[in-house]
Amino acid sequence: MQTLALYVGFGLVTASILCVGAIGFTLQFGISNLFNLAFGATMTAAAFIAYICNAAGLDIWASLVLGSLGAAALSYLLNRGIYLPFKKRTTSLFTLIMVTLGVGLVIQYGIEAIWGATDFSYTLGPGRSLHFAGMVVTTTQLIVIGIAVGAAVVMHLLLRYTRLGKAMRAVAVNERLARNCGIPVRIVADSTWVISGVLSGLAGVTLVMDVQTLNSSTGTEFFILIVAAAVLGGIGSPYGAMIGSIIIGVVAEVSAGFLNPAFKDITSFAILIVVLLLRPTGVIRSVASAKEVAR
Amino acid sequence: MRLNDVVAGYGGGDVLHGVSFDVRVGGITCVVGPNGAGKSTLLATVSALLRPRRGEILFRGEKLQGRTPKQVLQLGIVQVPQNHSLFRDMTVRENVEMGGFLVRDRHVLSERLERVMSLFPIVSERGKDKAGSLSGGQQRLVEFARCLMLDPALVILDEPSMGLDPKTLKVVFDMVRQMRADGRTLLLVEQNARAGLRLSTHGVVLENGRVRLEGTGREVLEHPEIGQLYLGGAVAPAAAS
Repeated sequence: MQTLALYVGFGLVTASILCVGAIGFTLQFGISNLFNLAFGATMTAAAFIAYICNAAGLDIWASLVLGSLGAAALSYLLNRGIYLPFKKRTTSLFTLIMVTLGVGLVIQYGIEAIWGATDFSYTLGPGRSLHFAGMVVTTTQLIVIGIAVGAAVVMHLLLRYTRLGKAMRAVAVNERLARNCGIPVRIVADSTWVISGVLSGLAGVTLVMDVQTLNSSTGTEFFILIVAAAVLGGIGSPYGAMIGSIIIGVVAEVSAGFLNPAFKDITSFAILIVVLLLRPTGVIRSVASAKEVAR
Repeated sequence: MRLNDVVAGYGGGDVLHGVSFDVRVGGITCVVGPNGAGKSTLLATVSALLRPRRGEILFRGEKLQGRTPKQVLQLGIVQVPQNHSLFRDMTVRENVEMGGFLVRDRHVLSERLERVMSLFPIVSERGKDKAGSLSGGQQRLVEFARCLMLDPALVILDEPSMGLDPKTLKVVFDMVRQMRADGRTLLLVEQNARAGLRLSTHGVVLENGRVRLEGTGREVLEHPEIGQLYLGGAVAPAAAS
């Protein structure tokens, strides 16, 4: 029982990072109808920006902010500079996915070309371990959980109570109708890519703070779990992404602890397949099921 | 509103071939015609979703062509699209609020919401429910409520009767009459030509992208040739009342 609590504790930390990333990923899909396979690479890029700042003497929290802002800028530029021009040429959904895959690989191998296939780590202040109900978490991990909870609350308030948030939900459900209501769809989409970029940056940097190692494929490898969480929750639904993240995060860490770390991804996707068999739209009815996937 | 020799279409072909007619202020103008007549293209052109290739559309003396859909909305022209035009995963109240997205003044917005809720009780009764959980008729009413949030001068309705049972249709058409009584002008496109023309003060028959006949709703309804073609026989004067 004690061991289970320990792994659940690890799972909650992983779930927190997943939650931030999955909300960002699912928002992009909801608004732009784009399954962005470069999301993991954007996380890595943010983590490297934070590494540069951290190595230059900034503390980790300032580095986290700068890394996230860098990811926001990258995310916005990728959408405006690459994805949107392809969409305007009514590129097929499959081709668009291939484009995002290509962009992700360019970023990943670009980072590797500059920094090499080496592992890096941040300079973090001395933390201490906290014990609670059989769980052991470090102060840094506790802050990571806090960041995820904060991000989820901010996203909830944004989506429920602000003009921009409601417009984002409206565009995600029905872009044509949103335009018909006078909602500036382009501005809403740009804002979404910036916000999701910030979230990808937060996820990328906090991931490295948790696992304490960074290389050119760190974000891409973790991205697999983000996809599982987002799809499990119902792709396009931020609330579904939150639920999906908790399930995938805890299951992944508990199975890694009791079985073997190699089972992390296997059990996560097994859960995903079982849930989708029982409920094809995910835990919360996905935006994808409410609209045409390929416009 | 005046459409003057409007030519419009998609890709290489024209769908509308010089359409001209007036939408009279304070009236209900119903456009009928067979499938492929150009009714949807007409609405897309009037709403600035499609730019006319020739001709002009004047609203209160101002040209509509060259304006963005947002600018057309700001002029006081709103369109209620065909069915499935609610944000299904948002609440009824949020859907109605989206109709007033262009209104920045919170005081004005809240006043409009109050007025719309008094006109459409379903907005307050089912305000917190997901729009997708409403029946077809209820959804239509919420669509009407949403469009009134901009306090429009001209309301364009695309197939308002689509998918509704006769009882619900009566409620929906009563609301159309209410909008007119409130001083709004209405332009509607109807597949259910007989019901649409009975409701309307003016009728326009569109065929192959051209105006075939124009007159009062009753004139069009009673026209023998049009009746044979589209209405399954002209309506006897007594029955048309």
